[in-house]
Amino acid sequence: MRAPLLTLAWKSLVNRSLSAGLTILAITLSVTLFLGVEKIRTGVRDSFNSTISDTDLIVGARGGALNLLLYSVFRLGDPTANMSWDSYLLIASAPDVDWAVPISLGDSHRGYRVVGTTPDYFRHYRYGRSRPLVLATGRTFQGRHEVVLGADVARRLNYGIGDRIALSHGIGDVSFAEHSGYEFAVVGILARTGTPVDRSLHVSLESIKAIHVGWDSGAPPRTGTANISAPLTPDSITAVLVGATSPIRVLSLQRQINTYGGEALSAVMPGVALSQLWEVIGAAETAFTAISCLVVVVGLSGILTALSSGLNERRREMAVLRAAGARPRDIFALLILEAASIAAAGAIIGILVTRIGFVAVSEIVRTRFGLELGGNTGLSELLLLVLVTLAGAALGAWPAWRAQRNALADGLSIRL
Amino acid sequence: MSVPAIAISNLRFAWPGGPDLLTIDAFKLEAAESLFLAGASGSGKSTLLGLIAGITPCLSGDVTVLGEVMDPDRPSRRDAIRASRLGVIFQLFNLVPYLSPLENVLLPLRFSPERASRLRAAGLSPEQEAARLLDVLGLDSDGLDRASTALSVGQQQRVAAARALLGRPGLVIADEPTSALDHDTRDAFLSLLAAECRASDAALLFVSHDRRLANRFDRMVELDTINHAAAA
Repeated sequence: MRAPLLTLAWKSLVNRSLSAGLTILAITLSVTLFLGVEKIRTGVRDSFNSTISDTDLIVGARGGALNLLLYSVFRLGDPTANMSWDSYLLIASAPDVDWAVPISLGDSHRGYRVVGTTPDYFRHYRYGRSRPLVLATGRTFQGRHEVVLGADVARRLNYGIGDRIALSHGIGDVSFAEHSGYEFAVVGILARTGTPVDRSLHVSLESIKAIHVGWDSGAPPRTGTANISAPLTPDSITAVLVGATSPIRVLSLQRQINTYGGEALSAVMPGVALSQLWEVIGAAETAFTAISCLVVVVGLSGILTALSSGLNERRREMAVLRAAGARPRDIFALLILEAASIAAAGAIIGILVTRIGFVAVSEIVRTRFGLELGGNTGLSELLLLVLVTLAGAALGAWPAWRAQRNALADGLSIRL
Repeated sequence: MSVPAIAISNLRFAWPGGPDLLTIDAFKLEAAESLFLAGASGSGKSTLLGLIAGITPCLSGDVTVLGEVMDPDRPSRRDAIRASRLGVIFQLFNLVPYLSPLENVLLPLRFSPERASRLRAAGLSPEQEAARLLDVLGLDSDGLDRASTALSVGQQQRVAAARALLGRPGLVIADEPTSALDHDTRDAFLSLLAAECRASDAALLFVSHDRRLANRFDRMVELDTINHAAAA
């Protein structure tokens, strides 16, 4: 009995293709919006959670895990304290440590943070799905007077290879303490990553040391007192990125560092800290989902209008169907099927539009914004299709009930 | 002894909250008989047809159609009897607008597998039989190709008659089917309908206020003479 009714519902919808089409369009748009928001949402979450990857531990002076993560990875806030160079050497030589990259923060250039590090940083830093840093142009720094720019820094400040820039002491947007007399040449610009690396300038640890010679009191040195020929080994650094020889060594390594007696240190696993941080800022994610769900509901509500508005004109049609043997429940089912078909058509077209749109824009979004759009799995799309169809059928229940009631009240008479 | 097409006894009917509309002690339509039931509009004609067709449940008395009781407590059974063994023709707007004329003729088969299997048992494909009926009833092939809504009223009524007759139902109920037709079309339509009912041994209950048509039928009954509620 269902198949004959389904073809009936289909022909009925084709007959009213304008109102049915507009309703389908509204549902298509709402489903497309929902899927698009989902793609962006999962993309943002994934890219956030992989701001740094393949780094097993981040080590800094004793403090909160989130704070360490914020200043060492996101370049936000200030380090509470530095850690000693000796501790770095100790960590770097520990048997379970595969590699250790020191980073030194505290300077800036026009609001962008400067990272003092070693060339190993470019070799070991990973983000996303183990993606390495890639130079868009130029090379990594080798000596003292060289700087490698993140993609955003180069683009916003319009810098190119060979430009010469000066760094500022401190991390404010406007600094009154310039490291004057010490210019850096831009030797490399990194490709966009979508991570805070894009907003960083990278120089060698020696450079950091060199520009701070004589700053021991915290104020610029008097002219002539700087002794550039002194050995440029840093006394202290801000944090260390550590890669372990094996994933199973990470926990014991973390414990060793956290309980190290020589200096009060904290070692955190970036993945754990990142998900802690996401819990804080991820509430917006729920809000986005809720809003896009509501948009789908609004889109579906068009079904009520589309079916209800035609109901009076269709009383004759219903009387004919009844006369031909249709039961009241067939009338009910016919309208439910129409509602469900409209919803399903809208959902299917919406899913297709999203898929095509994804193919069209994902590459642009990746290169322009460094955002890897999340893929909706076929299963989640199928689930959405089922849910939207069921919701459409549920919305059709009211007009369907009214049509059934009319059909019963009209009996075997046609309202002229 | 064949089973009567319609047998009504001790029927009383009123719409909820209304006065008694129908009080019929006895009414019978023999198998294959054609009957002209005359009554003014508002006399309860359509209500009586609704009761016979099983769309409206009769709450007091018995309505038996083709030997089957139209049980007020079994609406689905009544719907199934109508789908399988009755044909209904309305005054106007007989066609489902979004179905083609042919699909309109085949419409009862969507609700009654019995009707379809009866056709197949007789060695007929539904489409062939529908085409034959449309041809016999005088709908030319030009009419078949058009949308149902583009047909003239006369053509629409022919399609409705073909639908009512498809699969040899035992009873055809027609509610003022000719009142919207002009004189010539009406005569042609009536002749074809009566002839085809005879040919398929279907009883015909034809309701109209136009008593000039009565001589084309085996028998004529005034609704007012059998319905005591209206007389009172």
